This record gives sequence, C-alpha cells and structure tokens, in this order.
Amino acid sequence: MNKILKIAIVATLTVSFSSCSEFLEVNNNPNAPVNENLSLSAKLPAALVSTVNQETGQLNQIGAFWAGYWGTTSEGVNLFVDLKSYNGPAIRHQRDGIPVWENGYTTLLYYQLIREQAQTEGALFYAGIAKIMQGWHFMRLVDIYNNLPFDDALQGTRHPTPRYENGKTVYEKSINLISEGINDLKNAPAGVGPGADDVLFKGNKGLWIKFANTLKLRALIHQSEADNQAYITAEIQKIQAEGSGFLGVGENAFVQPGYLNTATKLNPFWESNYRTVQGASTGNHQDLRPTVFLLEQYKLRNDPRLATLYTTVGTDYKGVLFGNPNAEAQYNRANTSVFKGPQENNDKPGALFKSATQPSVLMGSFESLFLQAEAAQRGWITGSAKMFYEQGIQESFKYMEVAATAFAAYNAQPTVNLDQVPDKMAAIITQKWLALNSISSIEAWTDYRRLGLPAIPNSLDAPAPTARPLRLMYPESERQTNNNETSKQGSDDIIKDKVWWNQ
Amino acid sequence: MTKLLSTIFLLTFLTVSAYSQQPGDAGRPIRGKVIEQTTGAPLPGTNITIKGTSQGTTSDQKGEFSIRANPGQVLVFSFISYEAQEVTVTANTRTLDIALKEDQKQLSEVVVTGALGIKRAAREFGGGAQVVSNESLNQGKTVNPLVGLTSKVAGLRINMYDSKVDPQIQITMRGSRSLNRAKNAPIYVVDGIPVPEITRLNPNDIESITVLKGANAAALYGSEGVNGALMITTKSGSRGRGTVKFSNTTTFSRVFLLPPAQTKFGQGVNGVYDPTQAESWGPAFDGTMKDFGPVLPSGSRHQILYAAPSRDNRLDLFQTGVNLQNDVSFSGGDEKNTYFFSVQDVAIKGIIPEDQSHRTGARFNGTRKFGKLNTSYNVNYVYFKKNTTPDGPWITAYSLPANFDFNSMKDWQNPASYANPNYFFTDLQKNPYHQIDNTRDVSEQQTINGKVELDYQVTPWFNAMYRIGMFSTSTQTRSTTGKFEAAGRRNVNGSVSDGSNNFQRLNGDLILNFNKQFGKFSTRLILGQNFRSDYTKTATVSASNLLLPDLFNPGTRIGELTGSSSITQYRSLAGYGEFTGGYNNYLFLTLTGRNEWVSVLSKENRSYFYPGVSASFVFNEAIDALKNSRFLSFGKVFASWNKTGNVTLEPYSLNNPYSQINGFPFGNLVGFTPGTKYPNPNIQPEFVTSYEAGVQLGLLNNRLNVEGSYVFSDSKGQIFNATTSRATGYSSAVVNAGRLTNNIVELSVNGDVIRNSALKWNVGFNFTHINNEVKELYEGLQSFNIFRQSYANLGQQYPSLQVSDYRRDPQGRVIINPTTGEPLIAADPVHLGTMVPPYQMGVSTALQFKGFSVGAQFDWRMGGWLYSEIVPRMYTAGTDPRTAEFDRQPFIFPNSVIQNADGSFTPNTTVLSKGDKAFWTKQGEVQINTAAKSDYFKLRELSISYSLPATLLSKQKVVREASLGFVGTNLFIIRHKDNQYGDPEYLYNSTDGYLSFRQVPPYRTYGFNVNLTF
Repeated sequence: MNKILKIAIVATLTVSFSSCSEFLEVNNNPNAPVNENLSLSAKLPAALVSTVNQETGQLNQIGAFWAGYWGTTSEGVNLFVDLKSYNGPAIRHQRDGIPVWENGYTTLLYYQLIREQAQTEGALFYAGIAKIMQGWHFMRLVDIYNNLPFDDALQGTRHPTPRYENGKTVYEKSINLISEGINDLKNAPAGVGPGADDVLFKGNKGLWIKFANTLKLRALIHQSEADNQAYITAEIQKIQAEGSGFLGVGENAFVQPGYLNTATKLNPFWESNYRTVQGASTGNHQDLRPTVFLLEQYKLRNDPRLATLYTTVGTDYKGVLFGNPNAEAQYNRANTSVFKGPQENNDKPGALFKSATQPSVLMGSFESLFLQAEAAQRGWITGSAKMFYEQGIQESFKYMEVAATAFAAYNAQPTVNLDQVPDKMAAIITQKWLALNSISSIEAWTDYRRLGLPAIPNSLDAPAPTARPLRLMYPESERQTNNNETSKQGSDDIIKDKVWWNQ
Repeated sequence: MTKLLSTIFLLTFLTVSAYSQQPGDAGRPIRGKVIEQTTGAPLPGTNITIKGTSQGTTSDQKGEFSIRANPGQVLVFSFISYEAQEVTVTANTRTLDIALKEDQKQLSEVVVTGALGIKRAAREFGGGAQVVSNESLNQGKTVNPLVGLTSKVAGLRINMYDSKVDPQIQITMRGSRSLNRAKNAPIYVVDGIPVPEITRLNPNDIESITVLKGANAAALYGSEGVNGALMITTKSGSRGRGTVKFSNTTTFSRVFLLPPAQTKFGQGVNGVYDPTQAESWGPAFDGTMKDFGPVLPSGSRHQILYAAPSRDNRLDLFQTGVNLQNDVSFSGGDEKNTYFFSVQDVAIKGIIPEDQSHRTGARFNGTRKFGKLNTSYNVNYVYFKKNTTPDGPWITAYSLPANFDFNSMKDWQNPASYANPNYFFTDLQKNPYHQIDNTRDVSEQQTINGKVELDYQVTPWFNAMYRIGMFSTSTQTRSTTGKFEAAGRRNVNGSVSDGSNNFQRLNGDLILNFNKQFGKFSTRLILGQNFRSDYTKTATVSASNLLLPDLFNPGTRIGELTGSSSITQYRSLAGYGEFTGGYNNYLFLTLTGRNEWVSVLSKENRSYFYPGVSASFVFNEAIDALKNSRFLSFGKVFASWNKTGNVTLEPYSLNNPYSQINGFPFGNLVGFTPGTKYPNPNIQPEFVTSYEAGVQLGLLNNRLNVEGSYVFSDSKGQIFNATTSRATGYSSAVVNAGRLTNNIVELSVNGDVIRNSALKWNVGFNFTHINNEVKELYEGLQSFNIFRQSYANLGQQYPSLQVSDYRRDPQGRVIINPTTGEPLIAADPVHLGTMVPPYQMGVSTALQFKGFSVGAQFDWRMGGWLYSEIVPRMYTAGTDPRTAEFDRQPFIFPNSVIQNADGSFTPNTTVLSKGDKAFWTKQGEVQINTAAKSDYFKLRELSISYSLPATLLSKQKVVREASLGFVGTNLFIIRHKDNQYGDPEYLYNSTDGYLSFRQVPPYRTYGFNVNLTF
C-alpha cells in the first residue's frame, strides 16, 4: 500500500508542478493595451477631446441655462427641470445628475498619467501640455464646487480619501502648475514634441504658451472681486515677464480630431443640439430656445449675429422665458425662434452650427480678447481696452458667420461703441456675453456670478425670486466615498454657498 | 460502500428475520432478485410481503428470493432505509427483478453526496448538509432549479432579479463572505463536475440536490467552494423494466404589486391641461372630453374622456404569461448498463407582450461496467432562445397619466392613427407598444455539458478515478431597433447589434481513493489533482444607423461599422487530499488540504494552501444508555474548522487596460484612455476562516428530525472593487482589504405530525439568522460605497442601506426654509439598516391523504430594508399618490419645524410649501421618502395533486401511474405597510433590497400539471 501511495502522490504532484508555470501563463490581456504599450501621442488626443467634450457639452449646457441664454419651449416644459428649478440634490445625483466632478477628475487623471509618462521619458512638451490642462480643469472644478482635492488628488489608493483644499489655494496651485507647464514647453527641444496628435495647436509651442497665459489671465479675472489685488498684480507681472502674450486675433483654441459625419464621430455639440447622425433634428434642437432677454439684447444693438444664430417667426425673433412652469402657446416650438444651421440657412453655415465636422471650441480668440479688454479696462495690462473690445466683437462676428463689413455700422451705435456707452465695464461684459452665447456659456455664468452682468432675469421656477444658483453641491458619489472630507467643507447649498472668488 | 451495506444487511437481517414468514403455500411461484438501485449491489434481507396478508419472505445473501402469489396480488418489497416498492402480480409474472431506492428520510442512514461527488454516510460528515429531493424541488414546477430551492434550505438565500422570461437568480449561502457582491454564490457541481451555472438544467432531471453549507465540505473544490456547494445528482436508470414518464405543466402568470399611482390629476402643466404633455401635473379629472395629442392627418384631434379610471389602466400593458412544460423520460438498465434519457420542452410567454422564451433540452446519462472498471458518462444539450424587449415599455407606464388608454395604442403602424409615433400624444415618451414591437433583443444559446468518468477498482481497498467534464455555452445575440423616420424626438434610428459569446470549461480530476478497515477503525484517504481551464470569446458587430427600416444587417448601414471582441482565459491547478478516520462507525475525524495555483494572480502570489478539519460523533450509538432509546433514534454532534483561500479576481485585473472612446480613432488618429478602475498588481488571495458546530437529532423513531448549527466565519484581506472618491482619478480600486464576520444560527425542524397508512402530514420549518458585521475596511475607512445606496459601513451589518434625508430637529421633525417652505436637506446620509434580511424562515407543509397530496412552501424574511428608485420618477411625473395628497395646493409640510435664531425649533403652522411639480420632484430626490422595511411573508409555492388509484389503472397495461395537480407560486404576500413599491425579494445588479424600474414587475403564477408513468 505504501508503495502505491507514494507513486500516486509523486505522480499527482509531478503533474501539477511540471505543467504549472506554463499552463498558468494566460494572464496577459489580449484585448487591450496597458499603459506601457502606448506612446504619449496615442494618449494626448483622447485627453484633449475629453476636455473639450466636457466644456462644450455638460458645462456649456449648465452655463447656457444659468447665464440667460437658453430656455425651453412649452412642449419642453418638463425638460431640464433640475437646472430650471436649481434642484441641487438632483444635479448631484449619482445616476440622473450631472457628473461634472466625476468627468473633471477623470480627465485630470488622463493628464496625470501623460504627465508622469512624459516626465519619465523626458518629453517636456507633453509634460507642459499636461500641466497646463490640469490647471484648466482644477480651476474649472473650483469655479463649480469651490474647495476640492489638489495635492492628494489623482493618486489612486495612495490617497483613497483625498484631502480637500481651499478653492483659493487650488487656484494658486493651478496657476503655478500652468507656469511650470510654460517652463516645460520653453525647455522642450525644438522639433521634438507632438504634431498631429496635438489636436488643439498641432504642436505649435507659441500658441500653447499664449493659451496658457490667457488661461492664467482668465483665472485672475475670475478673482477680480475677491479682494486679492496684490496677488493679481504679481501674477500679471509674471505673465508680462514671460512675454509671449495672450491669444489674439485669429488665434483660436479649437479642437479638431478629424470629426466625421458618421455615428459617434460627429462634432458632439452638433450632434446633441442640432442634428443626429441620421439628419433628424435632435431633442435639444426641438426644445431649446433663446430667452426673450437674450434676443432683446441682440435686438437692442441691431446685432447682425441674430440672423445667423436664429430663425425668425414671421419677421421677428421670438424667445422663451427661462424656467417658465406654464406651457403657454406663445412659447410653443412653432412660435419661437430656433438655432439656425445649414438646413435653415440655405446650406450655408449658421453662427453655431456650421457642419457636422466643425471643430470644437475650447476657447475662442474672442474670449481672450474680451478678457484682455477687461484687464486693460481695469488697468491690469497695458493696451487699449477699446481695441481689444472691438477685436473681440470682430472675432465673434467672424466666428458667427457675420460679414466683416457689418462691423463698422455696428460699432458706430452708441449702445456698442465703447467711447459712447455709459458703463464701459458693463459693455465689455455684455459684449463678451453676446459672443460666448452657447459656446463657452460656463464662463458667462461665472461673469454673472462675479459681476451680476448682464441683468439676467431669474428662472420663473426658482425656489425664491432672489435665489440664484451659485455653485453645484458636491456630488453624491463624493458623499458616498469621501464624506469625512466633504462634510468638513460645511454648508453645501446650491443657492446659498458661494465659491471663494464670489465671496 | 459495500462494507457499509453488509453492515446494514447484518443488522437488518437480525431484525427482520425474526418476523419473516414462511413462503406462501398458495399461488404461482415467482423468483427474482433485489438489488440496490445506485450501486447494483444485491440487497440481502429484503422483506417481501403479499399486501393485505401475513405471507412473506426475505431475500437471501445474493439478494435472491422466491415466493408464491396469485395474479392481482401486490408484492411489497421493503428494506430499512430504502423506499418500499409495490408490484402487482400478473398472469405472466414469473420473475421479478427489483431495484430499491434509498430512502433519505432515515437520518441515521442518510447518504449525502460529498465533495468530489463521492457519496458518503451523513453520519461521518462534519458540516451542515441538507438534501433536497426531486419531489420537493419540483413542487412549484419551476423552470430554473434554483427557484425550486428557494426557502427550502436553512442558510440558503435565493432571490429572483425580476419577472423576465429568463430571470437572473442570486444565490447566497450563509450570508455574504465577500464584499464583492457578485462572489457570494456557492459552487454548482453536477455529477461531480463544477459548472458555472445550472440555470438551464432541467429540474426534473435532478435526482437530488445535496446542499453542502460549510466551506469545509467544499474545501476540496477550491476557492469557489468557500461559499458552500450545491451537489447536484442527476437521475440514472435502474435495473429492471424500462420506465417512461411523461409530464405536462401549464401555468399562467399575472403581474401584481405595481407601485400605486394617483388617479386625481391628469396630464398637463402646472394645473393646466395640455394635450401633448405626458406628465400628470394637469388639472383634476373632471369627466369632460378633451383634445389628446397633436392634430392628426385627417385634420381632427383625438378626443379622450378626462376622467379617473375605475381600474388600474397600467395592467392592460401586461398580458397573462403562459408557461408550458413538457417532459418525457426513459430509463432502464440491466446487469451491466443503466441509462436515463430525458427530453424537456419549455415554452414561456412573458407578462410583457411578445416576450417569449423557448428551451428544449435533452439528457443522456449512462453507466457501464467492464469487470473492475466502472464507467459513467452523461451528456446534456440545451437549446434556449428568447426574444424580449429591453426595459422601456413598463418604465414608460409608470409615468403615463392614469386615464391613458393602453389598449387603443396597439395600432401604431397605422399612419393615420393617434397611436402612430408621428402622432403619439407626446414626443417626450414613446408609445409602449411601439417600443415593444420595434426594439427587440433575441438571444439563442446552446449549452453542451457532459462528463466521462472512469473508475477502476485496483484492489478491494483502492480505486482510482479520472473524471473529465466539459461545459460549453454558445450564445448568439441580436438586438435591433427598427428605423422610424420622423421629426425631432419622434425619429428613431435603425440599429442592429450582433453578438456572440462562447464559453468553454474543461475540468479534470484524478482521484485516488483508499479505504481500509483496521478492526474498529476505518480509514479513507483521498488524493487528487485538478485542472480547470475557462475560455471565453465574445464578439460584437453593430451599426447604429441603418438605411432601411426592415433590413437588419450591418452591411446596410450609413456610416461606419463598430464592433469589438475579447478573449478571456482563466486557468487553475490544484492538488488536494482528504483523510477520514472512523472509530466504530460513530466517531469520525476528517482532515482536508488543498493547494491551488491560479492564473489571475502574479507569479509570486498565485500559489496558496488551505487546510480544514472536521469531526462528527454519533453519540446515541456510542453511549450505552442511549442505545435503542425509543425517544432518540439518532443523535450526532459535529464541528469543523476551515481556512479557505479565495481569489475572486477577474482575469487581467492586475493592469489598467486602455481603450478608445469618444469617437476615436478618427481616421489615423488614435486616442487611448485608461479605465477607471485602479489596478493593483500585488493582489493576494483572501482567506475565510470558519468554525461550525452543530447537532442533528432524529426523535421518536425519526418522526421528528431536528438539526441546528452555529457558524462563525471571518473573511480577511478581501479582494474587492472598492468604490473610491472620484478625486483619486478612479471610480474604484481593486484592493486586498476589508474584514467581514458572520455569526449564523441555523435551525431545521421537520416532523411527521400524522403518520399512518391513510394520512401523512409533514411539517418542516427552517430558520436562519445571520448577523454579519464589517470589521475593517481599507485604510481605516469608516464606510465604503458598494452600489448606489448600498454601503459597507464599519461596525454595521453588510450591506447597509444609507439614504439622503431631511434636516431634522432633535425630535426628528423636518426643518423647513421659513421663506420658501422647502424642507432642508441634510448634508449627511442616514443609515437605515441592512439590505439583506437577517432573519429568514421557510415553512413547508406536505399532506398526503389517499391519492391526494398538498404541498405548500411559505417564505418569511424579516429585518431588512429596501430602496425604490422607481418611485422618485413617479414623483417627477406626478403619478405617485403622494403628489396628489395635498391636492397640489400649498400646504403645511407635515410635522415640520422652523429653526429660530437662537437655534431652537418652533413647530411650523404658517409657512406653506409649494406642493407643485418642482416641489415634489425635489421630495423624490430625498431618498428616505422611498425607502421601506423589506419584511415579507409569502406563500411561495402551493401544489395540490391527486394520484389515480392503482385499482383504476390495473384495468389497462399502458399507464402504470397517473397524477394531476394544481400548482401556484406567490399566491399571496404580506409586506411591510411602508413598502408599496414592489416585491421585496427582487434585486437589482446583485444588490438586495434595491427596486429598480428596470425590473419587470412581480408576478404570480398558477396552473396545472399532469404526470404519467408508463
């Protein structure tokens, strides 16, 4: 018996061990590449597209409602109710809410991994881009949520419950990060860096640095009312010392990965707000309408952009009332102006909808020019506020398919001409508002929170007549996973608690 | 086995020979042989009597007998611990070969199917085990064997996901050992072969299911056995005359327990009627005729009666489901061969119109003896097809106005009809019938499952067995959406997605089995080696923009083709051993050990070992005072300790895979993004340590059986996918963390209240209390989100229901905003309780009277909580009754307070809350409003059947047995009064106590069945 037993055991074990290692070598993923398989150029385009998708999609939508651009038709009275009624808990809802936080940090991770790989490989150009874009996202999240993780963020389980930092601190750290990014770009050897994979500037280092400076300027403008002048002055000096300046005429931050008129590859702004891949009018196109107030502002200035932006009803442009809880016939689809695109414009491009493959706007030259106009008006930078202001309008005309020749007459009006308007700052902000319409709406909302300009009427569905949305509540996902930190931030209310630069 | 049998024989012989009668002196001589059905061994000492007389005999050493009997007389063959058999003597009866089947009711002789499919006496078993017979399993005539097990076994919790034609089932044994909620299911072992699922197994093919509850019993199966094992033995043929069985079951199913809807207000906006709005925020129903929907092509507008319906119109969307099962089986055998062959056909029509499934399966089980070599083989083939509509129609129904006339909406293809998608009353909801007809998911699956087993008796005390099993499924799916060209939201893109999923598992075991008796000591040693290889390949190809409305092929598309494929492999190797030592057949000690190597871990971590020890003691046979006790027929105590390793990781989880999303690649431009799961290359196996102690008693001549056990398990270093703050950059992380303990008490009582020849009434009760606790979490965290409102909270039961709540004063009253009247929302969520009912009870009763038998299974679960995500949407749509409670007028929020400047609270008597859509939508977001206790008591199964008396059947020779009966499931349910939301048993995404609008609402079934044996 012992002999047989021994043989059996030996046989059993031999079978196990000899084939063990080979038999078990099946854990290399045959389906997807991992970090080490991929070059930086295979990652950067996806990160940039992710950024611009969030800007032109989710954020643009929130901004467009809360900055007075959009309302809904009577048919669409039950659409976007959470945004119309400032329903904070619904917006932060994990499934049915608007995951600004989640998408923001996910995109930040993309840049974090690019940054780490670039630093390992010594690819300074990529490292610089990643840092600048991280600065963009962190500040964007502060604009929406205020305090949030910066130092502890993006490190997986090294910090499973990342510590929140003051919104102001995050702003400062982000600006420093952008400065580091600019340095990396400057130190990157010529001819080495991204090319076609840089879907923003095609590897143009100069434009990247100007873009980074503009981003810093935007961050400083945001804090214009935050009683932080010494810091602002110091930072402006750093930008000027750097010397590259800001995005100017013709210098747009447009993302073009090579959109195609085929499923999943259309320009997402087009696909969500104008036409589906089948060419059918989308739900948003059916039910989103300009507000009465917005149309009034254009009409007040005899604005030629109206004709490329919207269709007319009869001979007039008709808007809707934001948050109107009643379904009145005068605000029906058929009785109100709708976004104009090629199909409503004799196959010519509209102001916002030009083609299914149009580039996505991350930041238009017009935004940069209006930022410079404001900075000049405030005396932060040298140069003529009027010049930046007029260039801003001209660049907006250009983007919105208005003939350049229309500018002179437009600018001659006392409601437009900066020399004639009673309140220059209000004029700059209002013109910026008219230019950012449905493009970078989230910035327009920021301007409204910061300056109360223009005098946008409140939602008719607001919980109280004076209640305005000031930020988003921390998302449910964060309450579920990091509640200790989230609780430390205190009151978390959409209509009561302001972000740091608004206090 | 032989040894055991001869022991039994000796005992029995001594007992029965005293009573055995002389052979009858009248009638014709009949000779024959009695054998044991499973093994074919002769059964010496079988008692053979002529029914109604005192005449009889016993079989001899070879199992042979001879007796004299007249045609028409009935011979009764009985043997202790075997089921008695009756044979009617006919004019032609010369010889009779009888195979007796083990009766599993006798506790002292119960044979269980232990690990590796080796049958052993329950007495030597050191852990909890319960056998569910074919009859009990099929009482409710369920299609899925797991459904038939529900509430019948202490410690086993089985939940249906919903009422689809092919519902998913979750099964959990003795609570959750893993925070990975998909990894708490026991292993399924069919005839010795571990298989990934048994959903497609024909329950009628199952001879019995032995539920091995502890990790000890399953330790030899490796990691998957950590949650216990369901040892399924399929039927085999028996020697003797061939048997043909036919049965038909037809049941009908009806929807019930829909969440209630208000019937005061109809469609509209802010109190004003609107013909094109779907939400019920219009004026009160007034009985007038009103415009409905847009202007039709005829220029007119459809008119509807604006009145509250007297009945729930939503029920019209659901149809009566029909479930047709037909079964035929053939079995038989001779000295060397046995066979069992069955065919089953199940056709199900669901409660959602056009939902249907069809399953046709065949099984062939056979054995053959070649001298010392025993071979057995089986093959099971199942073809399954289902055709369903994805969630949509019933979700729509929850938010349509109360007077919506479903029946008039079927005519959507008529271009002039108001049911046509172009003219459906609103473009913000779809016509449910258009959804049903136009969006289809078709899936065809073929399952082939088989094994070959060679068992060679090398010496009388040593046999070697090799068993190889194959399980393979091939699933072909097609999802289609018909193109419907229309303006705006009414437009529907045509799309098609074809998928295939192939899964293959090969599993092989070499088992060396040594048995030796040394005087009073018995020993058994099992040594084994196992390999497992799982291979999955999936591929999909799809087009989201089809050119034609009725041609579903990606080739007929506009734009680009999309698709993907993946291959997944998992392999493991193991060596294992088990040693059992017995003394005098009443004291047993078993040691087990297994070393496992798995492919999914890194080289350094992939090998792990785990041991176990268990003991059992049949004390009534060891203690002289208890021997031959009239009160105690059987008494056993048992205990075990195990430490079981477990790797719940999916293949390729050590790295973060990158993929292309957001439209990439754009031509030559690629763009890869990482997954959102933080990988951990250093994951190690998790270990579960468990202790178990129990007692098993057979009282009053085994009339009352009691089994009780206490189990403690401690899971450490768990591998799970922890939800993390998104600020980490990831949505979750794979971690080796967390500790969960379970304290479990199980009790089963089963007794014959009445037991005589005419009437038998059996009542069974099983009780389980599971008290689990989260002891540690990752990195000192207090709380982990598991899924939405489900959490693992330190120091609490798992999983915990945690929901958002109002801000409340110390008395629990809701604080409202003194200017807007809006209730304030608390920043922190509140914890309500566990989502898994900690108390589970099953009550069964079986009554047999003459040819009638009545069986019922009650299910009672207490102490859990649930959350409904259905109702918040009904708040938004204005269909929930609460939105009509205050007539949509400003009102004083019940039990509300206002906070004073000094921090104190004053009851609110003046500030009105708005009571409009915006207000109620916000209340829907406060999750505590739609949470409730999940307690319930239900009649899960009821079966009434009548067997035709033998006298009636004796007039013909074709049908040997016939019975017909009524079956019903879910015939009644009592729920906690706060739960108006659905069936608390249903679950969603592996989460207990989560009611989702995606679930097909609950149903009850009733029907009849016919069984014939030829």
